[in-house]
Amino acid sequence: MEIGFVGLGLMGRPMALHLAKAGHTLHLWARRPASLEPFRDVHAKAHVSAAEVARHADVVFTMVADAPDVEQVILGPSGVMEGGQSGLTVVDMSTINPDAARRVGVALASRGIAFLDAPVSGGEVGAVNATLTIMVGGDPGAFEKVRPLFEKMGKSATLVGPSGAGQVAKACNQILTGVGVAAVAEAFNFARRSGVDPGRVREALLGGFAYSRILENHGQRMLDRNFKPGFKAWMHQKDMRIVMEEAHRLGLMLPSAAATAQLFNAMVGSGLGEEDSIAVLRLLERMSGAE
Amino acid sequence: MDVAVIGLGAMGRPMAENLLRAGHRVAVFARRPEARRPLAQLGARECLSPADAARGAAVAISVVTGNADVEEVALGSRGVIEGAARGAVFVDMSTIAPAVARRIGDRLAERDIPMLDAPVSGGAVGARAATLSIMVGGDANVLERVRPVFDVLGKTVVHIGPRGAGQVAKACNQMVMVAAIEACAEAARLASASGVDFARVREAMLGGSAGSRVLDVFGGRMAQRDFAAGVEARLHHKDFAILHGEAAASGVPLPVAASVWQQLNALMARGWGGEDTAALLRVLEAAGAATR
Repeated sequence: MEIGFVGLGLMGRPMALHLAKAGHTLHLWARRPASLEPFRDVHAKAHVSAAEVARHADVVFTMVADAPDVEQVILGPSGVMEGGQSGLTVVDMSTINPDAARRVGVALASRGIAFLDAPVSGGEVGAVNATLTIMVGGDPGAFEKVRPLFEKMGKSATLVGPSGAGQVAKACNQILTGVGVAAVAEAFNFARRSGVDPGRVREALLGGFAYSRILENHGQRMLDRNFKPGFKAWMHQKDMRIVMEEAHRLGLMLPSAAATAQLFNAMVGSGLGEEDSIAVLRLLERMSGAE
Repeated sequence: MDVAVIGLGAMGRPMAENLLRAGHRVAVFARRPEARRPLAQLGARECLSPADAARGAAVAISVVTGNADVEEVALGSRGVIEGAARGAVFVDMSTIAPAVARRIGDRLAERDIPMLDAPVSGGAVGARAATLSIMVGGDANVLERVRPVFDVLGKTVVHIGPRGAGQVAKACNQMVMVAAIEACAEAARLASASGVDFARVREAMLGGSAGSRVLDVFGGRMAQRDFAAGVEARLHHKDFAILHGEAAASGVPLPVAASVWQQLNALMARGWGGEDTAALLRVLEAAGAATR
């Protein structure tokens, strides 16, 4: 299949390479020529614009930072929509506001172009190992068409619902992981300040109802004081901002997520933004005078 | 002085009336003709666009709702930028994001139209009584030129700092005020759930260390269960999106304000956005009756 890919950063690069290794031809566009370097040895063709990429592809993937970037690359001048023919399928795998995703979908539909919002969980490690969890919103027909490609990039792809539903699922994912990481950090700080070894607490809790993957994996990294990302705190802050803006728009109360978003704000403001979001433990220690 | 007033809602209308009463020549614009008419009857020049109102004005004031409204009034195809003379001052007294105020000011500056951001505190009552507190961002010399107009509208005029600083002050004002309203609501809920009359609690507290204007005014409304708007809660809800946007951009934690924001979200969900913000009490009551 002819596949377009725009957004060849930390996540996009390994994802695109998996598709090339599966025998597909890649059509690429990148703002910086250096981003194309890793694709010299695979079947890939560079184009002068996202529109040109779309003109040559059956499916175009985008993987960029935020909603304005997605809108620029898809709807902007020389964007995907300009070059895309009727029958093209566009798949945005960035994490953006569900409402913005729906708007992009509506705009593309007017040109007979199908759209899936398909944000991922699993981070850079998941992208490199092709073990991402992919949450998809959009038309079932388009999903079936793209599913074999999703399977090259991740270990699971779920059609959650109509357009925007993938982004809603991702927002739910960020609520659970954000609040979960903060909860583990609070529990560990609490244990330590009570004179109890948090490592022993973790071990005891893993067998009970407080078990979670976050307690197991993120908790271990907190004990190892290994704050290398992983998933950078500033990205989690951005995702929580999306969640809170959507809650505001809907008139929806998210008290725990709101409190967690404030911790991420403080991390970014105090120089912890480039660390993994588990460094929320360091913030709690600092704020309670224990660092 | 020739003054334009754009936006004739609960705030703009009494402000325009006060300016007329003080002897200024006033041009008015609002989208709805029925909002313009009463001012025209008092002697204001009725205009069909912000550009038209700004034509010939030394000071053009906007008092509208959100970021997009102010951008339209200032920079739209029939906006102030199209009508105002070089050297005329644009004064935005709406509550909007500081970054948006700075952006609009930059665009107007290219046409030699200086801008002040001058949001107010004091509500419709303060606007009528000309007792508003006005928080000003922008050039101090420009403020001095506009001061005679401000003196007609309010009793406290403070130059906070450069452009955008007035909106930062307003965000702080909203944060402190609505958090205090929520605290009153929680006290009222605790008192009545404990079988105690909140009106008596409020009366006692007003004389002590917890006494405050919010406890007086909003606490009073809660005690009387009078939720007819003073300040429509939906406006405070809007302001909380602004101040949390600022907090995220600056990397500042606002844990209490974040909780209050969620209570406002719940209030909106219940359809109480048109009520007074004292209705935060009703949000707490919606959690269910205390049974013990």
